[in-house]
Amino acid sequence: MKADKEKRRMISRDAARRRRRVESEVFAELSRLLPLQQSVQDHLDKPSVIRLTLSYIRMHTLLKGITGKKAEASHAVKCEQVMESGEEWRGCDRGRDDEEKKTDDVEASEETNMFLRILEGFLIVLSTEGDMIYLSDNVSKYMGLTQTELMGHNIFEFTHPCDHEEIRNNLRLTAEVWCGAKRDFVMRIKGALTHRGRSSNLKSATWKVLHCQGRAKVCVAPSSVSCLLLTCQPLPLSHTLLSTHTFTSQHSMDMRFTYCDQRITLLLGYSTEELLGRSIYDLCHTLDTNCLTKNHLNLCLKSQSVSGQYRMLVRGGGYVWVESHSAVIPSVRPSKSRPGAHQPLCILCVTYVLSGVEEPSLQLSLDQTVHRYLR
Amino acid sequence: MSAGGSDGTADRPADLAADGECPEQAGSSLPAAELPRKRKGDVEERSGTHGQQSVDFQMDDDLSRSEGEDQQVKMKCFREPHRQIEKRRRDKMNTLIDELAAMIPACQPMARKLDKLTVLRKAVQHLKALKVGTGSAFTDTTSKPSILSHDDLKHLLLRAVDGFLLVVSCDRAKILFISESVSKILNLSRLELTGQSLFDFIHPKDINKVKEQLSSSEYPRQCLIDAATGVQVQVDAPARPPLLSTGARRSFFCRLKHSRVVGKQDKHFLPCTSKKKDSSRYCTLHCTGYMRSCPSSQLDSECDGEMESSDLSCLVTVCRLLTPVSHQPPKELTIRPSEFVTRWAIDGKFTFVEQQATTIIGYLPQEVLGTSCYEYFHQDDLLHLADKHRQVLRSKEKIETRCYKFKTKYGSYVSLQSQWFSFTNPWTKEVEFIVSSNQVISGPGHTKDEEAGNSKALQEDTKQIPIIPGLSSGLGTMIYAGSIGTQIANELMDSYRMNSSPSSGACSPFGPAQEKCPVVSPLTSTSASSREEASGSSSQSQCDSRTAAGASSATSESLAAVSRININPIQGETSQLDLDLVPGLSSFSSDEAAMAVIMSLLETDVNMGQSGDFEDLHWPF
Repeated sequence: MKADKEKRRMISRDAARRRRRVESEVFAELSRLLPLQQSVQDHLDKPSVIRLTLSYIRMHTLLKGITGKKAEASHAVKCEQVMESGEEWRGCDRGRDDEEKKTDDVEASEETNMFLRILEGFLIVLSTEGDMIYLSDNVSKYMGLTQTELMGHNIFEFTHPCDHEEIRNNLRLTAEVWCGAKRDFVMRIKGALTHRGRSSNLKSATWKVLHCQGRAKVCVAPSSVSCLLLTCQPLPLSHTLLSTHTFTSQHSMDMRFTYCDQRITLLLGYSTEELLGRSIYDLCHTLDTNCLTKNHLNLCLKSQSVSGQYRMLVRGGGYVWVESHSAVIPSVRPSKSRPGAHQPLCILCVTYVLSGVEEPSLQLSLDQTVHRYLR
Repeated sequence: MSAGGSDGTADRPADLAADGECPEQAGSSLPAAELPRKRKGDVEERSGTHGQQSVDFQMDDDLSRSEGEDQQVKMKCFREPHRQIEKRRRDKMNTLIDELAAMIPACQPMARKLDKLTVLRKAVQHLKALKVGTGSAFTDTTSKPSILSHDDLKHLLLRAVDGFLLVVSCDRAKILFISESVSKILNLSRLELTGQSLFDFIHPKDINKVKEQLSSSEYPRQCLIDAATGVQVQVDAPARPPLLSTGARRSFFCRLKHSRVVGKQDKHFLPCTSKKKDSSRYCTLHCTGYMRSCPSSQLDSECDGEMESSDLSCLVTVCRLLTPVSHQPPKELTIRPSEFVTRWAIDGKFTFVEQQATTIIGYLPQEVLGTSCYEYFHQDDLLHLADKHRQVLRSKEKIETRCYKFKTKYGSYVSLQSQWFSFTNPWTKEVEFIVSSNQVISGPGHTKDEEAGNSKALQEDTKQIPIIPGLSSGLGTMIYAGSIGTQIANELMDSYRMNSSPSSGACSPFGPAQEKCPVVSPLTSTSASSREEASGSSSQSQCDSRTAAGASSATSESLAAVSRININPIQGETSQLDLDLVPGLSSFSSDEAAMAVIMSLLETDVNMGQSGDFEDLHWPF
């Protein structure tokens, strides 16, 4: 009895071992087909192999739509038929010689590398479910995790839970709220980088604020390939301000000025003293209230923000278009008059002036009127 | 102790091994001798029952996992969660396989679900076919393999970013290189632009700005912001090594000419100051990049016969078209002439009046600014509008008024209808002002009789005391129009005060409630590092009342409500201040908001700027 059972168990174990071996072989073959470096291929675990394969296939389908390589698709089908018949097909007749293609590719490579480096961001392709189908390989510089570690995973695993709703909304392709296909939002993502820029453990990851901009690409067939193309850039805080068309300001958390550098006088006419305690909302065109509010909310919730363009009123009349890049920083010193009770947080803004003064004779706000008469 | 046994079906060994993650089990030749005596006894006992193999496997697993921990405890702890972990792994794998099957054409028409191995095999075939189809990018073994060919990546980038790469020389802003994508944005070809001076294409008012950015060494001071303290640090060149890289960074906005194209291009651009005679249109770009020195041998020196210095400075930037964020209406789509927007303080005094208002109400903005809106409301509407005023201060929604009459400069009345919305500061949760979006219902031309009748009626009525519920109207009290607004505002202030309590979470849980309110005394010292809050202007009469007030009457819905400010689509919207749901801003109570900020600060990597290391970048020209 016992021997029988033993025997059966041994057979099933052997069968299992055989199955596993065959499976491993197929996985290995699949991973070798992935266009990755050998060292990477060898260390992929099985789920990752499938994830990367999926990404590869999806990207291929997506790009067919973008670059319109319809001819190539039919060609691929032909190749597949040949494959199935067991033949090997080396190279294919494409009407352009390899040399030409090679130089084109090299040029494209240089340009895209440079582009991504200067942009200081990475490219991400997101499915409507939030799967990170593709990330440019420089993502490791920003997140500390490599392209192959991330591809195929879902972005919700790596972003701050409080931002999930906003991300989900951005992923929706046909929301009435959106004007066209453009996307522009801020989100927090896990960054497994030490301050020195070395990769660290995901467990000790910190939140990194990223500014994401791009557009949605809707594919009709297959619709599952519809996705979002985004560049994600961290928002740098240390700006080099060589421009006289920029000024910095500090605000308390309710957006009242607590400090402003003198350049504002040249640009907008206000003296730095008269701005202290004033709310930024008073200084801006009413129609831009929404823009400022969104900016303010981003700051409160995510600690960094890019405002988009809005209008700041010029002392005495008119307005200028500006864009502000802001961040919440811990304020170091307690205020002198109330030691021990200090606002530990304040908002730092770098504001770029985009245009000249428009409609200088226009008095839109109470401030402008008052100042006009006082002059 | 009790762990094991019952789940030892024949499946078990296969399960453990199925995902291939466990080390190969040696089967029954387990080193049972390694187990502590006690355990061994158990095993032997259980071996009489079914499932001995599985127990062996299980324990072996645990042995290999636990490093010297008490195995018995481990066994107990791991059994349940381990099964869960295994199950999850299996499920995940199955999901992945299903997804894979969905993507492979060869797997599609199958009637029944394919097994794992078959799907994998089909995937292999598919990949082989794809590789063949795409040609040289993959057959070329010398180049580093990547998921996408560079050409493909380029196309993707083009889609995602409305921008182009630009390299200009610093001395004369000669365009040394510009990427193809420029044609998409400026409608000018790469050929037209390369070799030209950038200044020919920049908006005249931005020329100085760009000149400034290009001149690097001449500019004496570099201003950096120390992110830790928020203080501006002025660094004289040469900068210290750690700052050197950020010193080379440039970021600016400028307007570039683009050639006219009929169609939707125009909508995207910000208003420009070009006169009608100037047929150029400009688009605003955000340019970010670095200063680099590049060997002049790589430049096309045929154009100029001069001797260049051996190392030329140039600026390498990515120029990106500014996203017309959908809540930012381009000038071309401003509201129709029969509408205008105003802003008032909470007591009803105008603090902002749009220029269109003049065509409707006759007054110039400066003539009404500072006056109370109640002075312009018709007698008959006072009750209704005061009521709405009260409502809007307490509501997070847009309040729509009925049609009412507004006195114009000439004494006649124009019929308006308005939507009012109170703006609440996201941080303090207090109402700061009211925005009013006003539409004309019928033209300002009433009949002559009506006009005469109206103005006459007004003169008589001002002698009467309009009875407005809730407002103190003692006998003989003359309520002037303006004071109605003030009264309503005061009501609000009172309610703030009454609702304040220490526990109702002021936005600054770090200090007493008054922290967030502006201190009344104006600041005389203006030290750069001062973080004092000075008083607001006189129009902000609520400042005083707020000093005592603690938290506002807002509840945890307030932040969510405020977030219901729309980033609205432009088409078909009459008012730019439409107030529908903003996708995705979650609701927080003020406490949570404050904590969220602190937590995110503690956890967020404050981006200290990127180091621009471009040694290995090959110049594309």
